[in-house]
Amino acid sequence: MEPGRARNPVSQLRKGTLEYCVLALLRDGQRYGFELVRTLSETDGLLVSEGTIYPLLSRLRRDELVSTSWQESEAGPPRRYYQLTDAGKRALADFSDEWARFRDAVDALVTPQRRAGR
Amino acid sequence: MNVHTDPLVDDYLRRLDAAASTLPTDQRDELVSEIRDHLQEALSQTPPGDQAAVRNALERLGSPEEIVAAAADPAPGQPAGVGSQVNVLAIASVAVAVLWFAGFGAVLALVFGYRARRQIKDSAGTQTGSGLATAGIILGWIGIAIVVTAVILIALHPNKSQ
Repeated sequence: MEPGRARNPVSQLRKGTLEYCVLALLRDGQRYGFELVRTLSETDGLLVSEGTIYPLLSRLRRDELVSTSWQESEAGPPRRYYQLTDAGKRALADFSDEWARFRDAVDALVTPQRRAGR
Repeated sequence: MNVHTDPLVDDYLRRLDAAASTLPTDQRDELVSEIRDHLQEALSQTPPGDQAAVRNALERLGSPEEIVAAAADPAPGQPAGVGSQVNVLAIASVAVAVLWFAGFGAVLALVFGYRARRQIKDSAGTQTGSGLATAGIILGWIGIAIVVTAVILIALHPNKSQ
């Protein structure tokens, strides 16, 4: 968009898709911040600095795609849990459809074997 | 261990708080408290004084500057802004509409106003001022209506103005 901002294209892609990875992790129910962050950082290929997930969570909450609630934990202080809102579920569903088509289209073009096979 | 007593953690949180001074206060407080809670969780099973574990947890978090940059960059592909800024063209639109410039101000107000609204819409929340831009547009149309009315009046009564 802006001149001089064409950085590593994969890192731009990662940035754009990370929030949907977060939403996807919440698909099956609520999770607390640390749990979410550790799962993401241990997913091979996502390569995120754990700390940068928190601003993302904050933005998702402000955009009302997730809601938060404080709950007691068995040990230690209360934890802030994140769950999908209806808008979050819709955003995730829309993205999942688009992503499948996008991924297939890019794969078809950039993967040589696949093209030869068709 | 309790992170509130660890000097490395203290230092890290202080740096984070300082770096986050560019964020709106509520976001800054939220961010620092989330990171503190994170470290508390990450180090809950760690014996006090285990410097290697603390360093590892801090390294996994990334630098305070990196975290704040992520907070200040609201959408991928958008220039990183600090909070939201009022669109300059929106201000210019109202200014030229008010200054009038014998009717030219009204035309400029419309050009600036519509362009400002588009920029604000495309900014994904980094810019504000759509109300101002709309005010500029309305004033611009009023200005043009006045010019048109004046021209018509003069055309209909060419001698009365003399």
